Amino acid sequence: MYVYDHYDHAIVKQRNAEFSDQVRRRLSGEITEDQFKPLRLMNGVYLQLHAYMLRVAVPYGVLSSRQVRKFAHIARTYDRGFGHFTTRQNIQFNWIKLAEVPAILDELAEVEMHAIQTSGNCIRNTTTDQFAGAAKDEIDDPRPWAELIRQWSTFHPEYAFLPRKFKIAITGATEDRAAVRVHDIGLQLTERGFDVYAGGGLGRTPAVAPLIKSGLPGEKLLSYLEACLRVYNRYGRRDNSYKARIKILVAALGAEEYARQVEAEWNALDQDAIDAPYAEIARIKSFFPAPAYKAEAFDQAAFDRAKAADSRFARWVRNNTLAHRNDDHISLTISLKPIGGVPGDASDAQMDVMADLADDYAYGELRVSHEQNIILPHVHRNDLYTIYQKLDAAGLGEANVAQITDMIACPGLDYCSLANARSIPLAQDISRRFEDAQLSDTIGELKIKISGCINACGHHHVGHIGILGVDKQGVEFYQILLGGRADEKAALGAITGKGLSAEDVPAAIERVVKLYLELRTDPSERFIDTLGRLGRDTFKEALHEPA
Amino acid sequence: MKLLTANRLTDGLVIWYASDNWPEGWVEDAALAKRLEDAEADAILEAWKPRETEIVGAYLIPLVDENTPVQREYVREHVRANGPSIGQTALDTAKAHNRPEVF
Repeated sequence: MYVYDHYDHAIVKQRNAEFSDQVRRRLSGEITEDQFKPLRLMNGVYLQLHAYMLRVAVPYGVLSSRQVRKFAHIARTYDRGFGHFTTRQNIQFNWIKLAEVPAILDELAEVEMHAIQTSGNCIRNTTTDQFAGAAKDEIDDPRPWAELIRQWSTFHPEYAFLPRKFKIAITGATEDRAAVRVHDIGLQLTERGFDVYAGGGLGRTPAVAPLIKSGLPGEKLLSYLEACLRVYNRYGRRDNSYKARIKILVAALGAEEYARQVEAEWNALDQDAIDAPYAEIARIKSFFPAPAYKAEAFDQAAFDRAKAADSRFARWVRNNTLAHRNDDHISLTISLKPIGGVPGDASDAQMDVMADLADDYAYGELRVSHEQNIILPHVHRNDLYTIYQKLDAAGLGEANVAQITDMIACPGLDYCSLANARSIPLAQDISRRFEDAQLSDTIGELKIKISGCINACGHHHVGHIGILGVDKQGVEFYQILLGGRADEKAALGAITGKGLSAEDVPAAIERVVKLYLELRTDPSERFIDTLGRLGRDTFKEALHEPA
Repeated sequence: MKLLTANRLTDGLVIWYASDNWPEGWVEDAALAKRLEDAEADAILEAWKPRETEIVGAYLIPLVDENTPVQREYVREHVRANGPSIGQTALDTAKAHNRPEVF
């Protein structure tokens, strides 16, 4: 993975010193809360319902074991013993003391981490495929490009005060696991270069991004992004924060006109002054080599014996692993969705276990997915059973990846000061409702995504079943959306039926799932496929208790 | 009738007005918050608002009776006063204060 050079170290150190001084001045009363608030937000510090929350950037979701061990240490020393992995591949600590933030940031800097670009109207942390550099279906590795964007966008003076925040996602695989078309800019690496999508997003006005350019050469990426941002920065609305994201501009101009303006801006730019030279791209790429794969033949017989002896292991292999480009290896997903648990949470002890496993069996590397799980991208298949047993002993052995209990849920009203309704308890209830492993396997792939407000941190618009919490005169209510998806066939779900109380949601979902099982043509037809074939109206009635 | 609440500047924790002394007059346990008559509550809020090195985000919670916030704020204030409702005992403010849930 990328290693900081002296510039990176210097800017993080300088930023920490600056923010430490701002914290000191706030605590002593030299600056007011109104003056301090934008400064703390630029450094990832939010004041939530119960305490300060610190959001730490995980650039493109890539972590070393050393960094995860540092998270465990921070959770143990400065928080209440856990961290929360987010839908933007970051981590949040929910019980931070303001006075201790400078010390935490210094600790993070020791492992080349920070909280820059995790808040504010800047270019946020770029997200990507959690299986980058490992997946068999990958055309090109998105990580070097994400790192290039990180270096270009960090403290970019022109884009520190955009009309609103700006999120970029990249995928280099044929299957889109990074939800690129619901980002402000989505980049799809192809054999001809980048396909660029612009103006996608979730939130109040969800939109699937249209294609604005095909076959952009990688060495021209930065100047083209610069042109995209310039047009947005110039014409994006600043009079109404609800209408300030690029998706509103692209919709207002039309994709063709926005693309034309970007092209004109791009042609007028001094591209050579912006684009990274080949040597720099090559230097960045050199930080992302394939690991020195363990030269050991895969012992199929031993693997089969372990699966035959331990059916839970067999299920875990079936559900939580993905084919690797090296046939003796595999990528595995550690589910942070135990039955009845809090989606995305990991305790300090669990983080230590994952870091140890990464060191012992996975070349020291981990990833965070936007679906709030942890990935060991490169694991020799001979080590799978040992890893599984250690994960299971730490409460990390849930075999439910991409299934109905592998839900995305935002923190909701249990933590978030913006939320209108709780998300986590609902996710817990649904999880318990579908805890039966056999039933979960029978249902197969089904993605539920829950947000506690219209801001959509829980990606409810692109859930096969999306759930949106709303406040109805002081009472939590939940609207159900059907038919969304975040993959290469990205689509927005639509609100179906009337809103439900929290108590009624799990049973409603159960009725929808039961109907799906009756209607599917065969077990290979996934929920989203059956829904696509038959339409939402088929499932609408099932959402409500029969009269 | 109203309650006065804020977050403590240094650690962000939720605190409740019980008396005018600092720091002991602002308590972490919502059960000990003083029930204030409306006019008194407004005056106390105004007096504390400038004390930014101690508290942040102070506001009043209207009550419909001695122990019930107005309906619109109910869930939010319940969670704020009792801790996250997600079954993690270590985070549960009510249990930390060894009391039943309030509001």
